[in-house]
Amino acid sequence: MIEALGVTKRYGDLVAVNDVSFKAEAGEVVGFLGPNGAGKTTTMRMLTGFLPATDGTAVVDGHDIFDEPLAARRAIGYLPETPPLYPEMDVSGYLKYVARIKDVPRSGRKQAVERALERCGLSHVARRVIGSLSKGYRQRVGLAQAIVHDPPVLILDEPTVGLDPNQILEIRELIRDLAAPREGEPSHTVILSTHILPEVEAICRRVIMIHDGQKVLDDSMENLTRDGGRLEDVFARFTLRETGADAAAPEGGEEAVQ
Amino acid sequence: MRHVTAIASRELRSLFVSPVAYVVLSLFAVLAGFLFLASVLSFDANLAQAQQFQAFDFLRQLNLNDHLIAPFLQVMWIVFLILVPAVTMSLFASEKANGTEELLLTSPLTIWELVLGKYLAAAGFVTLLVGMLGLFCGIIFLYGEPEPLKTLSGLLGVWLVGLSYAAIGVFTSSLTRNQLVAFFIALPLILMLWLLSVFADLGGATGAVGSESGLSALLRWLSTSDHFQQLIEGLVDTRALAHFAFMIGTFLVLTKASVESVRWR
Ligand SMILES: Nc1ncnc2c1ncn2[C@@H]1O[C@H](COP(=O)(O)OP(=O)(O)OP(=O)(O)O)[C@@H](O)[C@H]1O
Ligand SMILES: [Mg+2]
Repeated sequence: MIEALGVTKRYGDLVAVNDVSFKAEAGEVVGFLGPNGAGKTTTMRMLTGFLPATDGTAVVDGHDIFDEPLAARRAIGYLPETPPLYPEMDVSGYLKYVARIKDVPRSGRKQAVERALERCGLSHVARRVIGSLSKGYRQRVGLAQAIVHDPPVLILDEPTVGLDPNQILEIRELIRDLAAPREGEPSHTVILSTHILPEVEAICRRVIMIHDGQKVLDDSMENLTRDGGRLEDVFARFTLRETGADAAAPEGGEEAVQ
Repeated sequence: MRHVTAIASRELRSLFVSPVAYVVLSLFAVLAGFLFLASVLSFDANLAQAQQFQAFDFLRQLNLNDHLIAPFLQVMWIVFLILVPAVTMSLFASEKANGTEELLLTSPLTIWELVLGKYLAAAGFVTLLVGMLGLFCGIIFLYGEPEPLKTLSGLLGVWLVGLSYAAIGVFTSSLTRNQLVAFFIALPLILMLWLLSVFADLGGATGAVGSESGLSALLRWLSTSDHFQQLIEGLVDTRALAHFAFMIGTFLVLTKASVESVRWR
């Protein structure tokens, strides 16, 4: 599980993320929503330890990201906005390398790589050089990289961008499967950001919305769509108000016209 | 340590998949071969001339170490000046450009492991180049009898110079996401450190820095050229070894600070 405790990020005068707190338990898939520039990527970067929070902290699988950074990072699988790939490496060589730096013991490495390849539908391109793959396949390699060490917490920044409709369904299936697996396998916590609302409706049990760096909503899917409510309407209601920072300006203009 | 070797071996493998390694290696082989031939021919010309004019004093002094191997190894500092930064420029810069920095900094690695892994890869490549020079020197042993220890001391000098350039190159690579920028910062930085003793001399001549003052001595010690020269001449001095250890250590510490600062920007 993962818990954010008042994480804040300031870039000079700009407050990109302002005092965001939430908690996600094992087995949960949390949709992280918000308009462009809301601060989703920045929040995820702080949770994964890539960016230090200006204020606040987070606890991942019982490890504080500042006090025990290595243990916290070991417990996280992270798919950044741009998949972190080496174009000159082949797919399985790359995954083997990631498994190695993520501390997968030598004896289990081969199996871990094969499992990640299989789960992301990459087995038939395992020997291909990453630079020669299509965008969708590169996205899949990015996802495989996030799950290769089988971490308890997954943080996925727009995981289905660039995938074809069939693959989107497969990846959603995979995410659901990771959160609530068959008996005997550990369940994962998944936090994913996306702009595709039907995707959220399809796989997320909970929705966290941020706008202008502030958390504006944290509720279960069930509550939000009760009485046939649509997520689009909820999204509009919570993210068209109170404009301020750069990215929110166009929406403010639209509101004024109406 | 496991992480260090993981990073270093990935880096070396990628280097040998890309054309850079092969371009640098073949360029080096051709250049070193040419310089070797030039040294041999010049030695030969010296010998012939001395015999012709019966210059026995000169003939007695003429030897393979001082008049063939030393001049051959001595020019390597200029060859390395170009080639070593060309190899190191991508080490950190390409991670930034690819976005793979985000993978590394969210993995359970310490920054030291990252920096040492990168440096180990660069050092491995430098060692390969010095090994090639060793082969050239070996050829001379087939035909004559140079002093092995003096030869080794020269090779050690070239190796240490290469290792300190590599540390500087790794550092400049960590400053930018653009490989060419990393290359063009490394060149003047290396040259400046090389020429510090010239500044000391100039300062001494103009009286700006007393020639025997502590500052002048410090500049001379920081400057790479004198230490390299000593090793080429077969003089293994702890002051020289300390200089190279200091250079490498300093630039690796600076690299660590620079990589760390990414997080605070
Ligand atoms: N390095 C930086 N320096 C200054 N400002 C930054 C930096 N990185 C991000 N920001 C700002 O922080 C805010 C949040 O950006 P972030 O990338 O987290 O948004 P996001 O919610 O992921 O948007 P998107 O949906 O477009 O991916 C934006 O206003 C952005 O301009
Ligand atoms: Mg984003």
